[in-house]
Amino acid sequence: MDPEFRGDMDHHDGTSDALPGGYVEKRRPGELGFAVFLTVASLGLLYSAYGISGFKALSSPGSIPMATSLVMVISALVVAVRTARLPRVAGETLSKDILPMMVVVFVGFLVLFGVLLKPLGFLPTAALFLIAAFKLLSGKSWAHALTMAFVSLLVIWLVFRILFTVLLPAGIVPEAEFIQIFRNFFSGKG
Amino acid sequence: METLLAILTVFTQPQLLMLVGVGTFAGIYIGAIPGLSVTMAVSILISFTFSWEVLPAISLMVGIYMGGVYGGSRTAILLNIPGAPSAIATAMDGYPMAQKGAAGEAIGVTTVMSFFGGLIGILVLALAAPFVSEFALTFQPRDYMLLAVLGILLVGSLSSGSLVKGIFAGAFGIAIGAVGRDPLTFAERFTFDFKIMEGGISFIAVMIGMFGVSEALQQLQNVNMKSVRQKIDRIVPSFGTIRKYLPLSLQTSSIGVIIGALPGTGGDIAALMAYDHAKRVTKEPDVPFGEGAMEGLVAPETANNAAVGGAFIPMMTLGIPGDAVTAIMIGALFIHGLNPGPMLMIDQPDMFWFIVGALLTANVFMLIFGLTGIRIFTKIVEMPRSIIIPLILLLSIVGAYAVNNSITDVYWMLGFGVFGYFMRHYGYPLGPVILGVILSRLLDDNWRRAIISEREDLGRFFEGIVTSPLSLVLFVSVIMIFVSQTPLWTAMKNRLFGRATT
Repeated sequence: MDPEFRGDMDHHDGTSDALPGGYVEKRRPGELGFAVFLTVASLGLLYSAYGISGFKALSSPGSIPMATSLVMVISALVVAVRTARLPRVAGETLSKDILPMMVVVFVGFLVLFGVLLKPLGFLPTAALFLIAAFKLLSGKSWAHALTMAFVSLLVIWLVFRILFTVLLPAGIVPEAEFIQIFRNFFSGKG
Repeated sequence: METLLAILTVFTQPQLLMLVGVGTFAGIYIGAIPGLSVTMAVSILISFTFSWEVLPAISLMVGIYMGGVYGGSRTAILLNIPGAPSAIATAMDGYPMAQKGAAGEAIGVTTVMSFFGGLIGILVLALAAPFVSEFALTFQPRDYMLLAVLGILLVGSLSSGSLVKGIFAGAFGIAIGAVGRDPLTFAERFTFDFKIMEGGISFIAVMIGMFGVSEALQQLQNVNMKSVRQKIDRIVPSFGTIRKYLPLSLQTSSIGVIIGALPGTGGDIAALMAYDHAKRVTKEPDVPFGEGAMEGLVAPETANNAAVGGAFIPMMTLGIPGDAVTAIMIGALFIHGLNPGPMLMIDQPDMFWFIVGALLTANVFMLIFGLTGIRIFTKIVEMPRSIIIPLILLLSIVGAYAVNNSITDVYWMLGFGVFGYFMRHYGYPLGPVILGVILSRLLDDNWRRAIISEREDLGRFFEGIVTSPLSLVLFVSVIMIFVSQTPLWTAMKNRLFGRATT
């Protein structure tokens, strides 16, 4: 195994930590676009950082933001130029390897989760999300997805609501009353 | 005496002891399940333990950290998939051993050696940290600033291929950390006149997004991957085996502690260097390296666990994390109102000794859990990803929401998750981003303190650097890292070493 090898997470069964993917000698689909985007965004940040306090003093609140955004602009530019020179990876497409439909769908799920969390409450939203996700990913029956969602949600709720005492939006479910029943049950009063 | 009492706090409260145990147990499995990582687990857990008392929260996280570093080696041996970066070197000889049917022996030796390395790391931490923190009191603000820059640069350059991408990631992190109102002058920075951004971006949202959501999204691509089953036999290694590799493990543990203690370098580098060392000093291995040599297993495993203790040294004494996980641990300490740095050792020595005690306990638990429960282990690791991924995403959302009870944080997390997803794909390291976010404040404060004390005079500032040996060493190191990226360095290297390396 090459010590420089840091994992190619897309085409083998690799777990990753903070390991970046990508190839050293080749350019993946969209990589150049990303680098250009970073350069432009960094330029925007640099402009914004200049607006904080300009070149007033070395100790002004804007000096570190200006320095960091300048570093960002330069490094992003270097990356963009280097990337542009590399040959493209053969056989990879943006829709297949970088941004498959499944990822887009899940990002959509998560956005929806955020929208529904407050009005609907944690339990119904999480249940909907889990059922949809399990069904979509496992490709097994609805019964399977429903059972798995129910079991895992119950465990999560017990662990986090009771053990970690995390406050979650109750929404339409009368959660507090339910916990009270639960507590009474355990203290022998129920 | 008081020190001893503080170390033993863990044992006086059964609840804490249990939490360390549960944490270690969970850490081993999290480290071992493909698709879950310690970094992810600790960043999500910070938000859940947010409302806890300090001691239980730290007990749990220390356990997870220690267990996770060890757990990554399991999958490296069984499946050739390092569960954590620090287990990359373990796979080189561990997997060939498993292929030959010696998986049990490999796991047994790994466990005992990890325990051994961990112990040495913690001992060094306990002995060295008080001195380092005393020394750190003499640090000037500019030294802190340089150390922070050095840490971010080292994480960027050593944890991945491209340093330029690492530098970008680090600078990006510092910029994220600067968002909001400046604590000194109250000037708005990077808020783009949005009210929401005045309070800054919650670093927990950034962490969970980068290490939880982006990871889970990436795993969606290998959701149908089947896990491979391996037969495991006897695991407890014989005393003779242990004694045979003891001298080597002592050397590699020292490597681990030293590498771990350098800001910016953690268990992954330590393990690779130790592997290299073992290769050099073992003249006649029973089995050649790369084909299942026991030495190739002992070296990285002792080193990466020794690096845990090492990494806590700069984290506790200087407030400068060694890698992404310690950066997140620092975030956890911040949240509980602790301020890692030389003053922590002076104001709250008990807290330091408590952490040492918790680490020691976690190390013992690691040995116990590592040598038992192998059957359950194989079951849990085979959990399908179609179940794991939605659960990670759900926990990420709950975690991001729980800290401030705000939906805004959930959206930040999502945004950074998607951004981190692209960064992963295009080879940008994520570690430096987190380091940058955590160190942003320290960097900013110390730069301003340093330059104000030199009356805004850059000339005097550099004079200060040149005349202080410590600042000079740090400054030269920072410059060296930059130079190593320019064509100048390659040309110089060719002239100097051209003949030797060809």
